Amino acid sequence: MTNAEGGTRNAEQQGQVDQPATVQRMKPATLFRVPTSAFRVLGAFWRLNLAEELQYRANFVASVLGTLFSMATALLTLSLFFHHTTSLGGWDYWEIVVLLGVFNALTGVIEAVLRPGIGQLAGEVRSGELDLVLVKPVDAQGFVSFRRLDIWRFTDVVLGLGLAGYALFRLGQTPSLGQLAAFGLSLAAAAVVVYAIWVVLMSLAFWFVSVENIAVLFDAVYEGARYPVSAYPGALRFLFVYLIPIAWTTTIPASALTGRLRPEFALAAALVAGLAFALARALWRAALRRYSGASG
Amino acid sequence: MIRRYAALIRNAWLVDLQYRASIVLWLLWGVTEPAIALGIWWAIAGEGQIAGYARADFARYFFAVMLINQLTIAWDSWYLDRWIRDGDLNYRLARPLHPAHEAVAENLAYKARTASVILVVWLLVAVVWPAVRLPLAPGRWAITAVAVLLAAAMRFFISFTTGLLAFWTTRATAIMELHAGVSLFLAGRIAPLALLPPAVAGVAGALWFRSMLAFPVDLLTGAVHGTDAIVRGLVGQLVWLAVWIGAYRLAWTRGLRKYGAVGG
Repeated sequence: MTNAEGGTRNAEQQGQVDQPATVQRMKPATLFRVPTSAFRVLGAFWRLNLAEELQYRANFVASVLGTLFSMATALLTLSLFFHHTTSLGGWDYWEIVVLLGVFNALTGVIEAVLRPGIGQLAGEVRSGELDLVLVKPVDAQGFVSFRRLDIWRFTDVVLGLGLAGYALFRLGQTPSLGQLAAFGLSLAAAAVVVYAIWVVLMSLAFWFVSVENIAVLFDAVYEGARYPVSAYPGALRFLFVYLIPIAWTTTIPASALTGRLRPEFALAAALVAGLAFALARALWRAALRRYSGASG
Repeated sequence: MIRRYAALIRNAWLVDLQYRASIVLWLLWGVTEPAIALGIWWAIAGEGQIAGYARADFARYFFAVMLINQLTIAWDSWYLDRWIRDGDLNYRLARPLHPAHEAVAENLAYKARTASVILVVWLLVAVVWPAVRLPLAPGRWAITAVAVLLAAAMRFFISFTTGLLAFWTTRATAIMELHAGVSLFLAGRIAPLALLPPAVAGVAGALWFRSMLAFPVDLLTGAVHGTDAIVRGLVGQLVWLAVWIGAYRLAWTRGLRKYGAVGG
C-alpha cells in the first residue's frame, strides 16, 4: 500500500473524501483488524526511539531512584495504616504488598508506553498535530498508542514484580502453576483495562478540546488502585468495580497470585478486558469521526 | 503597587478562565488523595477510635486537608524550572517588576477559584452529612486564616526557592517531588500527626512540615487548643517562613549571577 493510498484511506474513514474509483478497494475496516502495517512502522519508530534513549543513560539511574522512592513511600504509608490495624479490607500487610507490587508493575507499563504515546493525544487534538498521524498509512489508534516508549520505565515492571515476589515469600506462599497462569492472564487483562481507560479519556479530548491535561484525571483515579477494593466503603467499591474498573487492574491479579480467588476467575478478568477494549475502540472511532483538524 | 497587583491578578484570573476545565482536573487530582486516605482510615477506625480519632474526626480532618492544602499549595517550582531552562525568565527579568510578584498574583487567582469551589462543596456535603460539620467558632476561624496565610507564604517560598535550583541543576522538580513525598507524612497529608510514631511527629514539628499544613488543619478542626499551643504553632510558622525567605534571597542573588540566559 502506498502512502497516498493509505492517506486517502484514512480520510475515507473520516467520511471526508468521496471514494475514487481508481483506488484499489480496501477491506472494510472491522473493529479488530490486525494492523500489520502498523507493526512495521512501529518497529522503525522503536529502533529510533531506543537509539535516542540510550544517549541519556543518566535518566535510567534517575528513573530507578524515583521508583524506589515511591515504593518506599507506599510501603511506609501501608506500615502507618497497619500500625493501627491488623487487616485492611480483610487483607493483611504482605498481601497488600503483593498488590503494591502489581500496582508498580502496571505503573511501569503506563509510564513506559501509555503516557508517552496516547497520553500526548489530547494536546495534539487541540493543536491539530493529529493531522500528521491520520495521514500515515497505519491504524491511527495502534500508531498513537505505541509510537513512543520511555524504555527506562520498564524497570518499574521488574521492580514491581520483584516486590510482589518478595511479599509472596514473606507470606510463605509458593503459587501453584494454575495460580501463576491465572496471575499472568489477569495481569495482561489489567494492562488492557488500563489501556482502555486511557483511550476513553483521550477520546474525550475530541469533545472537550481545551482539556490538554486530561491525563491528570487518570492519575487521580488510579490512586485508588493502591489498596484492595474491599477496603473502601460500598459506593466507592461499586464505582471501582463496575464504572471505572480499576479494581480489575490490581485487586484481581494480586488475588490470583495469593490464591484469594480461584484461578478460573482470571477468565472473567479477560472477559472484562475484552469488553473494556471493545467499548474504548468504539468510542475512539466515534471520536475520530468528530475530528475535523485544527492545523492550518 | 496595589494597582499593579490588581492588574496582575486580573490577568492571571482571565488566563485561568480560559482553562476552566483544566483547573477542575487539577482540583479533582488534589482532592482524591485525602479522599482515599479518608476512605482507608474510615475502614480502619470502624466503630472505635484511633488515638482519639473516631470516624467523624477523620472526616473533618481530611475535609480540612482538602481545603487548606488547596489554599497553601504552590506550583511555582515547576514554572520556574521551565522559565529558567527555556529562557522564559529573560523577558520577566527585563520588566520593571520582580518576577515573584507575577507568581504571587497567579497563586492568589488560582487559590481564590479552587478553594471557593471546595468550600462550597464542603458546605453542601455538610448539609447532608453531619460528620463534616465544624462547630461555629469565628475566633478560631480567624486565627486559622492567619495560620493559612503564613503556611501559604511559606509553601510559596519553598516552591519558588526549589524552582530556583534550576539555575544549577536540571532536576529541580525532582527535588520538589522528593519534598512532596516526605511531606506526605510529615505535613499530615496521609494521617493526622497524632497518629504518627511520636519520634516522627517530633521531627515534623521541629522542621517546617507541620507549619505547612498540619498546624492550620488542626487549628481549624479544633485539635490544637489552649493559647499556649496556638502561640507556639504560630511562632514556629513565623520562624520557618523567615528561614525560607532567607533561603530564597540567597538562591535568587547567587542564581542570577550564575544565570547565562538561554533562548531568545
